[in-house]
Amino acid sequence: MSNQHSLVLENISKAFTQRGGTLARVNAVDNVSLAIDKGEFITLLGPSGCGKTTTLRLIAGFETPTTGRLLLEGKDITQQPPNKRDMAMVFQSYALFPHMSVFENIAYGLHIRKLPRTVIQQKVEGVLDLIGLQGLGNRRPNQLSGGQQQRVALARCLVMEPRVLLFDEPLSNLDAKLRVQMRSEIHSLHKRLNITSVYVTHDQVEAMAMSDRIVVMNSGHIEQIGRPKDIYRRPISRFVAGFIGRANFIDTMAEAVNDDLVTVLLLGKTLTVTMMPTAKVGDKLTAVLRPEGLELRADATLKQVVISQAMYLGSEVEYIVSTGEETLIVIDNDPRASHIFNEGETVGIDFAAETVHLLSN
Amino acid sequence: MRRIVQDPVLATALILVVLFIFLAIILPLIYTIRESASAEGLALFQRYLTESVYQRIILNTLAMGVMVATLGTLLGFIFAYVQVKVKAPFKRLLHFIALVPIISPPFALASALILLFGRNGMILRGIFGTRCFWGEGRSCNDIYGLDGLTIVLSLSLFTVAYLNLKGMMQALDPALEEAATDMGANKWHIFRTVTVPMLIPGIAGSFLLLFVEAIADLGNPLILGGDYEVLATRIYVSIIGLYDTKAAAVLSVILLLPSLTVYLVQRYWISRTSVISITGKPAGTPQQITHPFVRWSLVAIVLAVCFLIVLIYGTIFVGAFVRVIGVNNDFTLQNFDFVINGIGSEAMTDTTTLSAFATPIAGLLGMLIAFLVIRKTFPGRAALDFATMLGIAVPGTIFGIGYILAFNNPIELTLPGIGNITLLPKLTGGRAFLGGALAIVVVYIVRSVPAALRSGTALLSQIDPAIEDASISLGADNAYTFRKITLPLIRPAFLSGLIYAFARSMTTISAIVFLTTPQTKIMTAQILNEVENGRFGNAFAYCVILIGIVLVAIAILYLTVGSSSGAERTLEGGA
Repeated sequence: MSNQHSLVLENISKAFTQRGGTLARVNAVDNVSLAIDKGEFITLLGPSGCGKTTTLRLIAGFETPTTGRLLLEGKDITQQPPNKRDMAMVFQSYALFPHMSVFENIAYGLHIRKLPRTVIQQKVEGVLDLIGLQGLGNRRPNQLSGGQQQRVALARCLVMEPRVLLFDEPLSNLDAKLRVQMRSEIHSLHKRLNITSVYVTHDQVEAMAMSDRIVVMNSGHIEQIGRPKDIYRRPISRFVAGFIGRANFIDTMAEAVNDDLVTVLLLGKTLTVTMMPTAKVGDKLTAVLRPEGLELRADATLKQVVISQAMYLGSEVEYIVSTGEETLIVIDNDPRASHIFNEGETVGIDFAAETVHLLSN
Repeated sequence: MRRIVQDPVLATALILVVLFIFLAIILPLIYTIRESASAEGLALFQRYLTESVYQRIILNTLAMGVMVATLGTLLGFIFAYVQVKVKAPFKRLLHFIALVPIISPPFALASALILLFGRNGMILRGIFGTRCFWGEGRSCNDIYGLDGLTIVLSLSLFTVAYLNLKGMMQALDPALEEAATDMGANKWHIFRTVTVPMLIPGIAGSFLLLFVEAIADLGNPLILGGDYEVLATRIYVSIIGLYDTKAAAVLSVILLLPSLTVYLVQRYWISRTSVISITGKPAGTPQQITHPFVRWSLVAIVLAVCFLIVLIYGTIFVGAFVRVIGVNNDFTLQNFDFVINGIGSEAMTDTTTLSAFATPIAGLLGMLIAFLVIRKTFPGRAALDFATMLGIAVPGTIFGIGYILAFNNPIELTLPGIGNITLLPKLTGGRAFLGGALAIVVVYIVRSVPAALRSGTALLSQIDPAIEDASISLGADNAYTFRKITLPLIRPAFLSGLIYAFARSMTTISAIVFLTTPQTKIMTAQILNEVENGRFGNAFAYCVILIGIVLVAIAILYLTVGSSSGAERTLEGGA
């Protein structure tokens, strides 16, 4: 069983003593269990302070867990110092050695392994090719652009052929365009090399784009683990729904329940939706409606809403509408095909039943 | 903590560092305090705190500290202000002249001042005749006492305040002053309500630092004090004249109180009230003061002080090459002959050798402690930093006494059945281990490490810890990371630590004056001897040679340790 897994976290907790005054201990990571498959790309996602970086540093060995075990390919590595772990980490700040050339930076770990010079030369050149920086080996890090620096940092890790690659928000320091480009480069590199990867970010788009599975974390514990599509479509809590993408939350009630089919009244429509775990009749529920699942139409038979804001963004039109009770976000993804409404107009609102996801309160 | 225990190299390094700091700094202090806390000592405390003679000495010490701290900080402020905010001529030259007093052999400035402005001084008597410029009768043109001491000490110490305040002024975000200007404030109003309040921590910090240095100074009061006695000189007389260690210990503890109080205030108050946040490069260029009266008054003060510095160092230089400066100005190499081929040659080689031993150890130790304190977590981390800094916070004379008390006998361990094992041989006094050289090297290190530690921690806390994490992540252990990554990155701090250590060791007097032995001669002690006997020519020759050695050492350090491989440029560039 554990042979299938590359890395296993068993009930890992990390308590820190709070600085100043009280000696209260706070669990930065609270009983986290996670099994990562070989070759899997897994992302720890959450707001700042949720414990995702601490979890990554626990995996790397820079922190020692207060309780729990860490297994690498079935072997307990909880007490192993970080330099003995067969992992390599890419840092947010690149963390290149400023007093060494690109070549020396990449060769650093190989020198520690005491590989022969010719082998080192070969490997470094190979990896420089891989990341598209051939010929830049003699440059200093400060002579490279931010994107190139992060590629060197990645190359420095790849050349070690580690069992696990760790990424600590590696794209946060790059500008938006470069971030998108590096995102797809990392994605395709992972597809080619198939190295088990743990990636930390607070950017949900990044997480969705690259991950096999996403681990959503909140105040030290795991909120939900799942494939990007499942997490987006079936968030387990209001926190996950709100953190991954944008969401409208509408209060409603279970009118009827038939096994896992729950009937609710929503925006003037009665509909039946699958809900896991199911609810009881009369339970107060929250319906999650993604903005792109809502549609505005001039149709008097529908629930009428007033458009309080209409923003034309080129690829989409974003509306803020008011039902009288709720304020909702509606995104029209195909503004070329549909009519663009103006602020102040009253229109009908519609949605398909399968875009609705129910949460118990 | 577990991480440190897991790494044997790191654990060993930590244990050795703690052991050294304990033996070299804490133990001598404990011995001094213990000596003073004896029944006899407590009686002395009572006498010293009630008798008017001693009350006067204590008041003298504090008065001198306050005067020097005030004048020195003011000079430092004016110099810094002119450099940063005033359009002035020859700014670079003025900067270099302001740095000159860093290398001031003890007694050199005081002796030169006596020869220039003393009763028979070249300027007052030589140029203006015997006219009485101040005082009358016996105290006519009397440079001895508080006034002379204040001038000499302020001149030799103001550089510290200058560099400190200059750094802070440059780090002040010009946007603050621009914002005040936009709101209609004039420059004087901005100076009062923005600039000075923002610099208060720097001003207070410099004041306290100068106060501690001044009350700890031994060399200047010894020859320029006259009737004006201070605690440091009284301690010196107690040991050298009377060999009364009890009295010396009691006086030391009395001197220790204001020093330690100031150190604690500085450490826990100033560091917390700092309002300057350094966020990298300033956004604009500071506005320059252009008001002619203000500008020229400030420039005039700076020029006058620089002229005085040049005059004093010129006197030292010329005095070394003439028979008796001001009296017989014939060129001679006799003074140098005395130093290089006579008694002085031994002192010269001994001092240089011992300083050369102490320098790399002090530099590396400072960087190592900085690494441990900033990057590693272990219980007693703050205590280690605190104890190391005591090496400079505690007046040098007190270390001298502490060493005599703690190491005048070998420290032995009696094991039943086996006999005595010598843990530490006798380090001071007659027949001391290596002729007392070991004790002197250790004192040199103790006095120099704090500066290296400060520059090391300052630089290290600006370097992203992820760089070292990256090294560990790639398979390097702590020792390899320290050698290959940390040390090269903090090389500028290492270099300044080394330079400081060598200059400080070569010029220190208060801490080693009780530790020299007939086998180990130290230049500064020899200079004192020459000055006391009025042989200024020899003293000045010593000083010139000493300054020469320090300059050569600085050049060597720059060429070896300072050779840049891009690390400094990168760090300075903020990448």
